[in-house]
Amino acid sequence: MGSVAPGAMAVSAGTGARTRGDTASGARRPRRFGPSSWAALGFLAPLLAYLLVLYVYPLVVNVSMSLHRFTRATFVTGDAPFVGFDIYREVFAMPQFWPTVRQTAVFVVVSLVFQYGIGLALAVFFRRNFPLSGVLRGLFLVPWLLPIIVSATTWQWMMDPDSGILNRFLGLFGVDPVWWLNAHNSLMSVTIANIWLGIPFNLVILYSGLQNIPTDLYEAASIDGAGPWRLFRSITMPLLRPVSAITLLLGFVYTLKVVDIIWIMTMGTGSSQTLATWAYSMAFGKGASAVIRYSEASVVGTILLVIALVMGFVYIAVQRRQER
Amino acid sequence: MRPTSSAPRRAWWKTAIGLLLTALMLFPVYWMVNVSLTPRAAIRDGGLVPRNPTLDHYAVVLQHQLPYLGTSVIIGLGTVLLTLAIAAPSGYALSRLVVPGRRVLSFALIVAQMVPAIVMSLGFYQIYSRLDILDTVPGLILADSTIAVPFAVMLFTAFMAGIPNELLQAAQIDGASRWRTFRSIVMPMSRNSAVTVGLFAFLWAWSDFLFASTLNRGGGRWRPITMGIYDYIGSQNQEWGPMMATAVLASVPTAILLVVAQRYIAAGVTAGAVKD
Amino acid sequence: MRNSTTARRCLAATAATITIGALAACSGGGNEPASTSAGTDTAAALTTITVWDPYPQYDDTSVWAGYVKACAPSGITVERTSSATSDLLNSLTTAVKEGNAPDVVILDNPAVPEAASSGLLAPADEVGMDTTGFDANLAGPGTVDGVSYGVPIGANTLGLYYNKDILDAAGVDPASITSWSTLNDALAKVTAAGHSGITFAGISGEEGVFQFQPWFWGAKADLSDLGSANAIAAGQLVSDWIGKGYAPKSALTDNQSASWDLFLTGDYAFAENGSWFAKAASELTDFTAVAMALPGKDGGAAPVPTGGEFVLAPLQKNDAAAHYANAATLVNCLVGKDNQVKTADALGYFAANADQRATQIASDPIWKPWASAIEAARGRTTDLGAGYTAASAALSTALQGALNAAGDSAGVESAFKAAAGS
Repeated sequence: MGSVAPGAMAVSAGTGARTRGDTASGARRPRRFGPSSWAALGFLAPLLAYLLVLYVYPLVVNVSMSLHRFTRATFVTGDAPFVGFDIYREVFAMPQFWPTVRQTAVFVVVSLVFQYGIGLALAVFFRRNFPLSGVLRGLFLVPWLLPIIVSATTWQWMMDPDSGILNRFLGLFGVDPVWWLNAHNSLMSVTIANIWLGIPFNLVILYSGLQNIPTDLYEAASIDGAGPWRLFRSITMPLLRPVSAITLLLGFVYTLKVVDIIWIMTMGTGSSQTLATWAYSMAFGKGASAVIRYSEASVVGTILLVIALVMGFVYIAVQRRQER
Repeated sequence: MRPTSSAPRRAWWKTAIGLLLTALMLFPVYWMVNVSLTPRAAIRDGGLVPRNPTLDHYAVVLQHQLPYLGTSVIIGLGTVLLTLAIAAPSGYALSRLVVPGRRVLSFALIVAQMVPAIVMSLGFYQIYSRLDILDTVPGLILADSTIAVPFAVMLFTAFMAGIPNELLQAAQIDGASRWRTFRSIVMPMSRNSAVTVGLFAFLWAWSDFLFASTLNRGGGRWRPITMGIYDYIGSQNQEWGPMMATAVLASVPTAILLVVAQRYIAAGVTAGAVKD
Repeated sequence: MRNSTTARRCLAATAATITIGALAACSGGGNEPASTSAGTDTAAALTTITVWDPYPQYDDTSVWAGYVKACAPSGITVERTSSATSDLLNSLTTAVKEGNAPDVVILDNPAVPEAASSGLLAPADEVGMDTTGFDANLAGPGTVDGVSYGVPIGANTLGLYYNKDILDAAGVDPASITSWSTLNDALAKVTAAGHSGITFAGISGEEGVFQFQPWFWGAKADLSDLGSANAIAAGQLVSDWIGKGYAPKSALTDNQSASWDLFLTGDYAFAENGSWFAKAASELTDFTAVAMALPGKDGGAAPVPTGGEFVLAPLQKNDAAAHYANAATLVNCLVGKDNQVKTADALGYFAANADQRATQIASDPIWKPWASAIEAARGRTTDLGAGYTAASAALSTALQGALNAAGDSAGVESAFKAAAGS
C-alpha cells in the first residue's frame, strides 16, 4: 500500500460541516425514520454491503484466529482448539514483546515528527509561488509512486556500510562509516527511509491547508509589525490545527501498519522489529519466525488495531475540544 | 488568493533552493535510474555514474513487461470507476441526508483504514475463493478499491456538505427526486473532489502489491506491473537491473499524471472545507 | 455541465454493469479447477493441469516452460504459475484449505517435511509417482515418517568460487586451501594485497542458514545442540570475517544473488555460492572464476547441504483420482529416466540419479569440481524432519547475532547459547 492515505481536510471539514448540514435541513434531529432516511439508506447500501463483506468479515476472522490455537495443519483442517485468551497471555509474556512495542513507538513517533515537520517546512517554502514551484512540488510526489521493493532496495544499497553512497558522503566530512543495517542501528535506518517515504503526502495535505488561510490575515498582522516567525506561530499554526490533527492521526495509523519498507531493508532483524513486521513474519513464517504462528500473528494484529482505535478516540476528543 | 509574488531576484533564489531540495529528495530515484543503466557486474560497485552504461535492461523490460503495464492501467481505471460508484452516493447520503447512526458510520470509515493489510488479505482469499473470482481482474479491482473507498467517502462527505443548501432546496421545490438532485446538481459540483478521489484511487491501485500477490497470482498476463516486477526475483537469482528499469518505466505515466493533476489535488481537497 | 453529468453517470453505470457482468461470467467458466464444484466423474473432465513452481524468472518462452508443457498427457494443457519460493508453501496451504490446490507443486526441499506433516501432500504411492532410482541423500527430504511424498527435480549444492586473477596476484595457491586456518591465511594475504576477501549470504531466514551449514557441519556441530563449542566455533569463524573486514558487512542482509553480484564486481577473492551459478561463472570475461570444495574445519571437504526442489502432488479434496493420475503422468515424465538430465539442465541443476548425473558431468567440464560435493551432500531435514523449521529459525537468529557481533567472542557465544535455549 505504500504511502499514507490522506483524508485530511475531508474529515476535519466533514465534522464541522455535518453540524451545518443538520441545521440547514431544518434542524431535524433524526429520531424518526422518515422518508429521507430510506433514501439515505438506498444511497448507502453499496457502501454498507461493501464494509460488511470486505472489512468486518476479515476482522472477525482475525479475532477468531487469535482465540484459537492454530498450526499449519489445523489451519488446513480448521479444527483448532479454542483457547480463549491464552495466546494473548503468551504473546505478552514473550521476551521480544515489550522491546518490539518500544521499537514500534520510537519508529512511529520519530517518523511522524520528522515527516510532519519537514512536510510543513516544505509547504511553507512552496506557499508563495516562484518560478518552477508547481513542477517542483509535483516532482516531490514521485517517491510516492515508486514500487516499494525498488525504493527499499535502493535505500538498502545507499546504506551499504562498505560501498554505499551515504557512508561515502559522510566520509567527506570525516565521519566514520556507519553500519546502518546492523542490529543496533537498523531502527534508525528504516526510520530514515520511512520519513523519506512520508514527506510527499504531508507536503500535499499541509500545502492545501496553507492555501486555505486567507492572506489578508497575514497582511494585517505584518502591517502591525509582526515578523515571519511570529506570523507562523500566531496565524499559521493555529489555523492549521484541524488539518494537522487529521494528518497526524492518519499518519499514525498508517505508520503503525508499515511492513514493506522495513521488511525489504532488514527483514525486521535487530532493533527494526515492529509490531507490524513481527505479525507479518509470524503470519507467513518468514525470516527468523520460520515456524508459522497464525494465532500469535492475529493477536499482534488485534493489538495493532486496538492501538489505532485508541488513537481514533483521542482524535475525536481533540476534535470535540476544537469545535467548542 | 495567491499572494503577489516577491521581487524577481528573491524568487529566483527560492527556485535555486527548491531545485536543491528536490534534488535531495529525488536522489534515490536518481540511484534507481543509475542502476537501471548498469550492467550486472557493476551493480554493487556503488558508482555515482553508471560504469559501462547499457540499455539491455530496458530492452528486456520493454519486451516482457508491457502487457503488465497495460493490465495495471486497466486495473487502475477500474478501481477509479468502482470507487466513485460506491463513494459518491455514500458521500451524498452522509452529508446531506438524514442517516441514523451517521457518526458511527463515519467513525467506522476511519477505523476501516486502520485494519492491517495482512488481516484483510487472509479473509479476502477465503471470500474470493468461494465466489470464484480469484485470479481475475475484476476481483483485483474490487480488492484495490478497499484501499480507496473509505478515504473517498470521507472526502466526498466533506465536500458535498459545503454545497449551498439553497441550490438543493430549489431543486426539491421543483419536484426533483433525491437521485435526480444527486445526479444533476451535486455530482457536477463535486468534480474537483471526484478528480482527487480518482487520482488517489488510481495511484493506490497502481502501487498495490499485497492484494495482487494474494489474489491474482495465477493471472498470467493479466497481472499488474507490481507482480510483473517480481518476475525478476527468481528462486536463487535476482536481476536488479531489469527491476529498476521496470520501476522507471512504470513510474513515467504516473509521474506525468501527478505533475499535471497537482492543482486538482490541492483544489479538491480544500474546496468545501470549513468556511467560517 | 449536464453533458459531463450524463457522461459520468453513463460511465458509472457501464462500469458497474461490466463489473457485475464480469464477476458473473468469471464465476461460471474461467479456470478448470471448477472441479471444486461437486465431484464430477471422469479424468476426462480435467483438461488442464496446474503446476506451481518457484521459478518466476522462467517465463512462458523459456526452455523450462517448454519442458513442462511437453510433459502433459495428450489433450491436456498445462497452466503454470510461478511465485517466490518463500511464498509457495503459504500459497499451497491456503489453496489446500480452500480446495484450490494445484495438481503439481514444486517446493524447496526443507519445506517438504513441514508440508507433509501439515497434511498438504498426497503420498507418492497414492499418486502413482515412481520414486525409485534417486540417490538416498538427495531424496531424503521427501520421506517423512517413512512415507515418501515426492522426488527431487534436481539437486544443487554449495561450493567455494575463487577469483583466479586475484589469487595469482596475491601469491595464494588454491590447492593449499584445505582447512579453516589455511582459508583464513589466504584471506589475510588477499586483503593485505588490497582486495576484498570473501562474500557469502547471511540473510535472516533459510537462505542464510543454507549458506552457514557447510561451516556449521564442517565444525562437526549439530542442529539439535546450538550451544555446543563446535557450533560456537562455526559462528566465530564468520563473525571474525566481518570483524577483520574479510567479508562485507552487507552479508547481514545479502541473499545469495546479492552475494554473487558482489563477486561479479571482481573485487572479491572468494565467494561461497551455489552450483547454479557454475555456468555463469564459466562465462565470465572480466576475470576467471574457478569452483572448489568448501574446506572443513580440520581438513577435508566440508559436508554441504542439498539444495533443489521436490516435485510433489498436493492433497486434493475433489476428483482426487483424476488429479493424481494427471500429476503422476506429468511428474514421471519430468523426472523420468529419459528427461531427467534435460530437466536438470534446463534449471541449472544436477540430476538426482547417480548414473544420469555421471553422464551429465561427463558432458560438461564445468561440473567437475562439484561431482564429489554432490555425492556427499546431506539433506538438511533428514534428521529432524518437520522439526527442522524451528531449528533452522533458531540457527538463523544465532547466525545474525554472530554476524552483528563482528568478531566479539562474548557476543557470538551469547548469541548461540541464547538460540540454543529457545
